[in-house]
Order: sequence, then structure tokens, then C-alpha cells
Amino acid sequence: MTKITINGKEHDADPKLPLIAACHDAGIDVPHYCYHPGLSPEGSCRMCQVEVSEGGRPARVMVSCRTGISEGMVVETHSEAAHETRRECMEFLLKNHPLDCPICDKAGECDLQDYAFQEGQSEGHTHEPRRKLEKRKDLGDVIVLDQERCILCTRCVRFQQEVTKKPELTNAGLASRSYITTFNDRPLTGNYQGNLADVCPVGALTLKEFRFQARVWNLEKAASTCAECSRGCTVSVEVLRRDAVKRMRPMYNADVNKWWMCDTGRFSFEHLNDPERLTGGLIASGTDLLGATAGEAIAHAGATLRGTQPAIFASPFLTQEEAGALLELATTLGAKPKFISPEANDLKDDLLHTGDPCPNRRGLSDLGFEAVSAKDAATAVVSAGVALLVGERVLSMLGDADLGVTKLITMDTHPCLASGVEASIAVPFHVEKAGTWINVDGFAGRLTVARNAPQGVPPLERTLSDLQAALGLSEAQA
Amino acid sequence: MSGFEKYLMSRMGAENSHTLEGYKAQGGYATLERVLKDMTPAEVTAVVKDSGLRGRGGAGFPTGLKWTFMPDAQKDPRHRYLAINADESEPGTCKDRVFMDEDPHGLLEGILMACYAMGCEGAYIYVRGEYRHQYDRTAAALSDARAAGLVGKNILGSGFDCEIHMHKGAGAYICGEETGLMESLEGKRGHPRPKPPFPAGFGLWGQPTTVNNVETIFNVPFIVEKGAEWYRSMGSEASPGNILVGISGSVNKPGVYEAPLGMSARTLLESEDFAGGIWKGRQLKAWFTGGSSCGMVPASFIDVNMDHDSVKAIGSMLGTASMIMLDDTQCVVRAMEVVARFYDHESCGQCSQCREGTQWLHQIFRRIEAGRGKPDDIDMLTSIASGMAPGKTICALADAAAIPANQVVKHFRDELEEHVRAGGCSINGTGACAHGTAAKETEVEVQS
Amino acid sequence: MALPKKLTAEFDELCTHYPERRAGLIPALHRCQEELGGWITPEIMDDMAGYFDIEPAEVYGVVSFYPMFRLTPPGKHVVKVCHNISCDLRGAREVLKRAKELTGAEVHGTSADGKFTLEVVECQGCCTTAPMIDLDNEYHENLTLEDLERLIGECQ
Repeated sequence: MTKITINGKEHDADPKLPLIAACHDAGIDVPHYCYHPGLSPEGSCRMCQVEVSEGGRPARVMVSCRTGISEGMVVETHSEAAHETRRECMEFLLKNHPLDCPICDKAGECDLQDYAFQEGQSEGHTHEPRRKLEKRKDLGDVIVLDQERCILCTRCVRFQQEVTKKPELTNAGLASRSYITTFNDRPLTGNYQGNLADVCPVGALTLKEFRFQARVWNLEKAASTCAECSRGCTVSVEVLRRDAVKRMRPMYNADVNKWWMCDTGRFSFEHLNDPERLTGGLIASGTDLLGATAGEAIAHAGATLRGTQPAIFASPFLTQEEAGALLELATTLGAKPKFISPEANDLKDDLLHTGDPCPNRRGLSDLGFEAVSAKDAATAVVSAGVALLVGERVLSMLGDADLGVTKLITMDTHPCLASGVEASIAVPFHVEKAGTWINVDGFAGRLTVARNAPQGVPPLERTLSDLQAALGLSEAQA
Repeated sequence: MSGFEKYLMSRMGAENSHTLEGYKAQGGYATLERVLKDMTPAEVTAVVKDSGLRGRGGAGFPTGLKWTFMPDAQKDPRHRYLAINADESEPGTCKDRVFMDEDPHGLLEGILMACYAMGCEGAYIYVRGEYRHQYDRTAAALSDARAAGLVGKNILGSGFDCEIHMHKGAGAYICGEETGLMESLEGKRGHPRPKPPFPAGFGLWGQPTTVNNVETIFNVPFIVEKGAEWYRSMGSEASPGNILVGISGSVNKPGVYEAPLGMSARTLLESEDFAGGIWKGRQLKAWFTGGSSCGMVPASFIDVNMDHDSVKAIGSMLGTASMIMLDDTQCVVRAMEVVARFYDHESCGQCSQCREGTQWLHQIFRRIEAGRGKPDDIDMLTSIASGMAPGKTICALADAAAIPANQVVKHFRDELEEHVRAGGCSINGTGACAHGTAAKETEVEVQS
Repeated sequence: MALPKKLTAEFDELCTHYPERRAGLIPALHRCQEELGGWITPEIMDDMAGYFDIEPAEVYGVVSFYPMFRLTPPGKHVVKVCHNISCDLRGAREVLKRAKELTGAEVHGTSADGKFTLEVVECQGCCTTAPMIDLDNEYHENLTLEDLERLIGECQ
């Protein structure tokens, strides 16, 4: 580490990184567009200008993303000269930029807006007409391109060159006629297109899925973990008015996913807004299923399971905390719980997706749960005569496996409709609980409550301990 | 004007000067032979350094000094290259083509000596794509030189290997910027690279590279043959040697003329040995000193000596020594519209200030020239120019666009104001100003 | 690959001049434009992407950057008029005006009969022999309007 002075205070700077990284590490947001810590520095937007004095020489304004660290350098990020240079830069960037804020999805999280407020001037001076380019260019299933909003930072081009390693976007033309496009109107491909909307600092590359869906300042955001594979990328779950999950975006995690996530994970949230999800519970009555409270369903489940040796299968969506509660329950029932291990899918890639649709395989294995295929689990359920199926997606993992006439108690986000079901109890979605998953490499992924589960959906840990009580086997009696 | 030694064009009088036979008959490649036999690379670099030769591509950087930036080959064993900048696209400039047309072997001999001095295993001659005849002439010379054992492995039995390759550009001015040239040579868009790192540390394919202009390298065999003292006896102290001066525009005899650096611009303009004065009996009004990037100065500066420091002292630059002369029927606003359009067309588009600023300057000049200027336009020109330069962008194209804009406001503000006030051009000379026609022509949107 | 063998053989030799093959791209694109109809088609860009083992988008980025590469088909003859400063001072506007009349084409357009494409270009390095046109890749300098009429007239 090298000692440098930023805004009058001494800091330790990593000499392998550019000056802007040291400023950001010191908690100082130097305005920038083309710079992104996950991409090679370009130095073309010219926004990240700070005043630097090296070796006692007079201070000069220079772009901090292309300035290396030298011992004793003195940096002023908010001096008058630095501000003035950034103000000029803003004026140039806003000359052709369309006044789209009222209809632009990026408003509220737009670097152009933010830095214009911070660094820019209150009036534009241009009399010239703005350039005309394509405003709704369809780039395939995921992305819409507005070429007029683009400030040619080339983050999108570099993302594809350096991260996905398949450049499909290019800058084309030159000078003020430059634009970003794909070749021959071809759509983008691959499972990482959503990241383009994240890296784009303005509203040029936006998600079709999110277009006009919500104003970002109305979204409540919580850090959580993606559920779609065992990578467990850290994500931000974003909920509109405490109701619908409107968006998931990656959050930086140095050990797991850096700045990125795949589209499979990013767009797997519609089911979280399913109006058909189970609340409370269902109890079998003859051939009918009657609505009930969770408590009533738990009581019925207790009556069904008392004195039996049920097969217990969990879904790999159980958190470590829930798994701990299930283990307690299982021990008192004299059973060894197992978890259903789905087959690998074909989404595995060189970047993030592991191809294993189990968010907590490793965590459950570490706790002693045995992994069992859906087929073997179904066989075991049939021969057991009584079974307890626990966890989000446990039923979909069993699919249409024939479960015979086995008496079933299920704890899932949706009801069980198999012939032998005795009771279904609602559980929260993973975005509605706090907990821990362990990813494929052993890193702990935290879940936090992004949205409260609706009325009548108790936390799974409580359901399990209530069931334990209902079995007449409280802790004291175990 | 008698009394100065000519060497740059000294061989070009012979009809076969461009052939190997003709070149050798005039003594060509004899110095190369001596260099490979009797001189060390360090000695070649030393004589070039001592000569004070300055780059002829427009920046005037001391060439020998530039060569010493190449790393020590013992400590840095990477591949090393020389790139010859034959992209010649600066408006007003048409002198490198003369060497390639008339004396390509002189260029090749210079390349071989430069490669020897710097330990470069190969050289690439990057020729602008439009210069077909010049490319063909140079390629033919290269082929003959290779056949004669002057290029390739074990040149003249000396053990020195050097490959020279031809390469074509495709019409982008920015590829005349040394790092833009390297990007283009690598098969990419010609986007200049931020410096540092400099080409000597990270050049072609990341290897140590020196980029030199055609005319600069053309000087080298003469310097090596006749010595630094000889070279310094010509030109001026800080700008030794001769230079090919281009004089174009409103003159009787436009042309490319060899002259010692430091010659008075008035002589170059008026002497019968050079441009023969302003044409059609008119008067000089304004002139570009060194290509469009150096901007215009008034006629009153015509007595400046054409060397780097003297032109700098009048607030301009020597650039490529391409003088473009405007007579008193010409409109400087119209000239600036043309020049501003050029930079608007040629900016690579990377840097925010240049991409937007070059367009903005052009749009304002176009409006003023067409009679649609607004009162705040003139101050806006200097405001935009000061946002673009100096030194605020990856390369100097932004400076090249800003300088002429600043110059015209500084020296010809009244003409700009007249256009705004009168809603057009009021030049009343013996020729017709293009107001009216210009407005319609310049409505054509610039396209690539 | 749709590139003719004669061209790919040329490109194979061309690429040996560089330590990285991609450096042959721009000279190779020139040859494509010269031999395959005077413009760079999407098919050519796809083929070149395959030949140089890069993405078509990267080829397009290069082609669209350089003014000499055409992305639309030209007429039978291409007339380029320099309209930069030295030529402008010596009558380029009159040359352009006359060229429009003689060819029947608008600037950056092709005449209705497909015979002529007319373009304006930036400085071609003929400043001291101004004005000039480039007709079918040949410079014609010190151009008079009579020269222009003769040259256009001689175009079949």
C-alpha cells in the first residue's frame, strides 16, 4: 500500500489500481461514467477529473481512472479547478442528450442526472438541434436500446469484450455521429444481457421487463441471495409498495459474483408475485380440501403424524436456520431428513451459473442432510405411507411423481393436490425471510426480508416448532 | 532564392529517381552500407540526436530524443517496431507524398537506419488509403530493395535483420495520431490511446514502438552521411535543417518547396522561387501557418520566420509548415466553417468534449456563416474551445479544433460580429464571397 | 465461407506480415471492396468475422469507422470531390456544383440511372494542386471545369 493524501487526509492506496479506485475506497465518490471497477479503464468520458500534485510539481487536473498511484501524491477531488472541468464535461454531455427524464426508466438512479445536479450548471447554452437516432431499438428478449440517450461510455462494449467474451455490441460510425448498435439488427444472445442495463450509466440500455414498471424511488430494496442455482449471487430484491417484486439486480460480492448475475436469476421473480400462492393452510376432509388457518392445519398435521415414522424430505431452499429447526423435529420423530436434489440443468456456464438449481445444497449437506433424487424420494414417500414435505418448491421438485396413497403433510408456497394429502401449510418465499444459504464454494449468502409474507403465512421455523408442540413433543419432553 | 543547400529534393530531378537503379546511381544505399559496417546503433542515434532534427509530422518533437525512449533491449527483450506515419491528412499538407512518389528508396534507407539504431526488427509504413499511387511506388521500391538484399534477413551480409511492411489506412484523419495509427494498424477502430503508457513502452501489439513521420525519417540518411554539424549549418538554431513547405490557396504558384527552416514567410509567399505572391493582383488577408490545426493569423504576421519557436512566439504553430493563404476577397468565417466541419467529421468520438465540441463549433460557424448567428455565439465559441483544450482529452484533435476557433475570434472578431449583425457576409472585394451559396452547400449533413 | 478462394489466399499471405492476424483486417477489407462490388455487404462482414475469428459486430465497428468503406452499393462510377480548405479556396464549390449537374447525383447519392455516385471528401493531400476529384480511385488534380466535363463525359 502507498500513502497518498486525498482532500487533506492521508490514505493507504493500492498501487495496482487507478487513483479513482483509491478515492472510492476512501469513501469519496469521484463522478465517472466510462470507469467501472469490473472493467478495464478507458479514460474517454473525461468526467473523473481531479486535481493532482505529484513530486511537489504544480497541481494539474487529470482523469483519475488513468492516473496511477505515486508515493506522496496530493489529490483534491473537489477543488474549484476539478469542479470547473467536470462542469464543462457535463455541458458537453448534455448538449445532445434528449430531455427524456419524465419517460426514462433510469430516472432516479441515473449517473447523468446525479452528476448534473452535483457538478453541472443550471442552464444549457446550446441552440443546436439534438441528434436523431433510434430510440426504441429492439435488441432481443431482454434489452431495449435508446441510441439518443447513449453517452458513448462504451461500458456495454467492454462488458461483452471482457466479461461475457462475446462482443455483440459495438460502437459504430465516428465523431458526433457515433452510436452503439448490434451487427445487422441482430438480437443479443446469452444469459448475461441484463448486466448491460446495470452497467449503462444512463437510460440507453434498459430492461424490457422493467420498462415503465416502476419509478425506482418507489422501490424498497433489500439485500438477499439469488435462488436459481448454487452460486447464490448477492442480489438486491426490489419491491413496489410492499407488494410486487419488480426487479432483482446484482449486488457486489467480491467472493461470489463480483458485479454480475445471470438473466435466469435476474428474471426469476414473477412467480414471487403469484396471486394463487397459499396463505394459511388446507386440511383434507373426505375428498375435499378445506381452507383453514395455519394453526388449524398444523394441528391436523400433528394428529396425522403422531406415532408414525414419516419420511421427511426437504427442498434445497431451506435456510440453515430452517434446516436446524427441521432437524430438531426429525430427531424427535426418529427420522433422518433428506433433501431432494434436482438434476443439473443445461445452464451451466463459465461465468456464474453452476447448472445446479439448488440454492443451499452445500449448507444442507454440511448439516448432514442426505441428497436424494426426486425419483428416489418419491419411491421412499410411497413406501413410507406417511411423509412430511418441507420447503419452498418441494412439490415442484417432486413434479408429477406418483406419490401413491401416502398421507402427506406439505409445507410449501403452494398447496399439494396429490390424492393422499392431509394438510398443506403455507410458507414464505425466500424473499420474505431472513436466513442463510451456503453456496457451492462454501460462502454464506444472507437472505433478508424484502417483503413481509402476507397474513396467515408464518415463518417456517415457527411452523416446525408449532408442529413439534402439536406432536406433544416439546423440547422439555424430548 | 539562391544560396541555400538543397538535399531533400536533390535527387528528384532525375526521371528515374524513384527506382533502385536511379537511386543507387545518385549514391543511394552507400551510407547504409557504411552504417552497417562501421557504426554502432548508439552512434547512429547519437548523430541524429546531435543534429537537432525535429519531427516533421506537426509536433516538432526532437527525433533523436524520441528514439532514446525505446527501452534497453538487454533489459526488455520484447519485439520492437518502427511505424512510419504516411497518413498525411492534415488539411493543407501534401509533402510526404512527394517523397513516396519521387524518392521512395530514400525513405526506405532512412527506415533501415532508424531500425538499426533502435534495434527494431521490423517497420510498418502506414499509408493513407487514398494515396494509391504513392503506396504503389513505395511498394515497388520495397520489392526491389528486398530482391537486392537490402531488406530482410542479413542485410548486405551484416547480420542485421529488418523487415519492412506496407500497410493501408482507410480514410480517417485521426489515424495520423500516433496511437490512433497503432490501433488502426492492429485492425481496429482508430481510437487514440491515453498516454501514458507511451508507444516506446506499449506500442504495436503492446511492444516497444516508435512512430515517425515520413519526412522525419527521410532526413536521417543525410544526417548520418554528412554529420550533425552539417545539418545544424542549415535552418535555425532550434530548428535545424530544411523542410518541405507547402503553400496553397490564393497564390500564383501553389506548390511544395524545399526551404531551410527559419525562412521568412513573406519570402515563401512572394518570391518567384516559391509561391510568387497572392494571385489575381489581390492582397493577403489571413493565412494558416502550418495546416488547419494551427489556425489563421492576420496578414500582418507574414514576416514571421518559419521555424518552430518563431511561429510559436506569434501565438501560432509551425505544424506541418503547410501555409494556406486567403486573399482579401475570401471570408474567414467561411474558411472556419470548412475547417470546423473537418474536425466535426474526423473526431474519433471517444472524449466527451471533442465528440460534442467539434460538432458544436461546426454548428455555430455554419449558422454564423449562413447568416443565422446569434449574439452569444461568438463568446460561445471561445467557451467551447476552452472546454476542449488544452490537454483535456486523450489526444490533440480537440486542441486542433479549438485552436483555429480561438484564433479566429482573437484576430477576426469583427468579421464574425459583422456576420451576426448583418445576417450574412458583407465582404466587398473584387471576387464574390460565397455567402448564399455557402449556406445552401453547408446544409449537406456531414456523413462518414 | 463465401469469400472467393483467390481473396482468402491473398489474405493468408497478408496476415503473415503481422504477429497478430487481426492487423490484416483493414487491408483485407479494401480488397473485398475492390473485388466484390464496391461496397462491404453484411455477408462480407460475416465472412470476414469468420476468417479473422472475431465477432461480426467488431467487423462492423471497424467498417463503419473508416470513411473509405462503403456500406451501401455505389453507382458504376464514383466521383469524390474534396471540399476542404485549400480546394475550397480554389474553386471546389464550383467543381461540386458542376459535378452534380454532370452526374445527375446528389451529394452522397447515386444518379437515377445508377451510373454515378457523388461524394464529398475531406483533404486528399492535393492542396497545392487544387481543386481535385478522385474518379474511380484515381486522382485528377489541378482540375478545371473543362477537365471535369471531359472526365465525366468519358465515363461509360
